[in-house]
Amino acid sequence: MSLAVEAISLTKQFGQIRALDGVSFNIKPGEIYGLIGPNGAGKTTTLRIICTLIKPTTGTIKIFNQDATKQPEKTRQIISYLPEESGAYPNLTGLEYLQFMAKLQSKPDTNLKATIDEAIQICGLGDRLKDKAKTYSKGMKRRLLVARALMTRPKLAVLDEPASGLDVLHAYHIREIVKSYVKEHGVTVLMSSHNMLEVEYLCNRVALVNKGKLVVEGEPKALKAKFNSENLEEVFAKVVGFA
Amino acid sequence: MLKGFTTILIKELKELMRDPKILIGMIVLPLIMFPVLGLVMGFAVQTAQTEAQRATLLVVDNDCGNWSQVFVGYLNSTMNVEVLNNTSPQSVIDRGLLAQYNSSTFVVIPSGFSDNLTRHNAGEWNVTGVVNAYGVFNGGGGIFSGVGGSTVTAVIAGFNRAVAPDVVAVSQSSVIKGTITEGVSVSVLSGLLLTQSIALPITIMVMLTYAMQIAATSVAMEKEEKTLETLLTTPVDRFAILMGKVSSTIIVAGVAAVTVLIGYNYMLGSLSVGIAGNSGGSVDLVALGLVPSVGGYILLGISLFFTLLSALALAVVMSAFSENVRGAQALVGYIYPLIFIPAMALIYLDVNSLPLAIKAIFYAIPYSHPILAAKAVVTGDYGTVVFGIVYVAVFTIVIMYIASRLFATEKILTAKLKFGRGKAKQHSE
Ligand SMILES: Nc1ncnc2c1ncn2[C@@H]1O[C@H](COP(=O)(O)OP(=O)(O)OP(=O)(O)O)[C@@H](O)[C@H]1O
Ligand SMILES: [Mg+2]
Repeated sequence: MSLAVEAISLTKQFGQIRALDGVSFNIKPGEIYGLIGPNGAGKTTTLRIICTLIKPTTGTIKIFNQDATKQPEKTRQIISYLPEESGAYPNLTGLEYLQFMAKLQSKPDTNLKATIDEAIQICGLGDRLKDKAKTYSKGMKRRLLVARALMTRPKLAVLDEPASGLDVLHAYHIREIVKSYVKEHGVTVLMSSHNMLEVEYLCNRVALVNKGKLVVEGEPKALKAKFNSENLEEVFAKVVGFA
Repeated sequence: MLKGFTTILIKELKELMRDPKILIGMIVLPLIMFPVLGLVMGFAVQTAQTEAQRATLLVVDNDCGNWSQVFVGYLNSTMNVEVLNNTSPQSVIDRGLLAQYNSSTFVVIPSGFSDNLTRHNAGEWNVTGVVNAYGVFNGGGGIFSGVGGSTVTAVIAGFNRAVAPDVVAVSQSSVIKGTITEGVSVSVLSGLLLTQSIALPITIMVMLTYAMQIAATSVAMEKEEKTLETLLTTPVDRFAILMGKVSSTIIVAGVAAVTVLIGYNYMLGSLSVGIAGNSGGSVDLVALGLVPSVGGYILLGISLFFTLLSALALAVVMSAFSENVRGAQALVGYIYPLIFIPAMALIYLDVNSLPLAIKAIFYAIPYSHPILAAKAVVTGDYGTVVFGIVYVAVFTIVIMYIASRLFATEKILTAKLKFGRGKAKQHSE
């Protein structure tokens, strides 16, 4: 079976800063794969390389057997990306934003209305979708963007801290959506998060990144057993070294 | 004292003074801009003066009497004089004599001049001699375009003091595009056109800076909100993202150019009424042919459009180097002196009277061209206008090419200007 993501010794140098230092991992189709790690560890950099936004200094990245660096156009047809701390267009309504992005992200033969209906369902914003995005709260914007990232049913959804800024209920709602999406539509998800509860609940496998290196990887259960910890937070603390 | 006021004031001042953009924008730029303007003006005054000293005054003596010879003799004692006999004013122009003597002013002593002066001196005080001065109007709203005419007036005042009060009067006329308009002096025309040459540069200045702010804000907003990042991961052609951005501003620029022209045309029309010339009649810019033709308006519109486009494209490129809206606006602010200096200088100066080096600098700045074009279409100098349009268009294409290269790589997300990086390093030390 082919892999959804195959990252082989990725490095990324920003001037003096070595953001990634030989990161390798594989993601199987239909998996939810989580990246965790302290601030500045290199999570966002990894996700940006996978999404064809930046090129690795060295190393190879393959998305469903396509080289993302060499064939970025092809890769962009099968992925969707949710940047961390991103917004929408302040003067467009939520609905207009969804319509705009659906047109750009979808293949020519897709049913746009079905796509948008799906997004309306996911975000749960109801009538507020008719308001301009600048009137939304932080969490409402996030819900709109998560819905945007999932509505086209990409083969790979890359979500950078999808539930950050969401209240307990909406974070829960988003988690359920992601989980059911993977089950029903065979979407593969790569996400980063600082919420260990979320990662433990959602992810089939987790990788812990620190200072540009992948330190440990495995199923949440296996990691807890390996580090003799009760939860992932403890694993995190033990690996990164604050505990 | 307000509680906490001093603490807040000190913090605000620290914040402001440590922001290099504010320091440069508010203090360093004005410190540079005004001396530069002063320098340009100084050069212009100097050039005008040396030219006036060197210039030859062409005198057409159609009287050939005693007094006309005395008068010519007096003129000869104060300036370079070249005398012709029995020539009509129009044939002076038609034979290209002004160009031959490198002069922009000539004086005609009509026949009967000596008679009138003799009668005046015999006690007929209300009989006076009249000298006709003709100045070539070169289309400028330049402050020195009336220099020739006023020199003549001054010399004749000297003659009157020496001979008899008010014995000779001057009648000023203008030569516009080779045609004589009697009774309207060059300085009246220049004054009239100064209104025009203030309004258009200021409008262009406001329009360009405003358009650049809008374009920069729009790109920086996409970067700040990360909507650009999202767009770049979709299967959209990246050049389409750039072109979409620029095209929307092109449409705005087109509408703006047309709006400016409509307002400008209306203003020129309303200026034409009720300004008294020397002869007591009224000066009509339209009748004098001193408003652009339809073709001239179209050229001016194209020039405005390309200049706006180049400014917008530059704003898009520059804002790609900043991370947020405030940074982008500060960055495009560095371009403003290039908009302000030509606009302000060209209000007062005729670019053709400037030394070559300064002239070249003005031509090199794309934002000078619509202002130069506005003057050139009035005088029918379409070559200058077309050159300007081609130059600005090439400039725009180069900028657009850079922009498209920028959008094709990760630089659009990671590029930062040098001083930004330097600062970041300082912080991490
Ligand atoms: N465009 C850039 N230019 C220079 N350095 C960068 C750039 N992007 C990231 N870096 C650096 O690369 C390193 C990794 O950053 P990255 O954003 O990937 O971290 P992260 O794991 O996502 O952190 P966080 O949890 O805070 O989001 C950091 O040291 C950061 O300063
Ligand atoms: Mg991050």
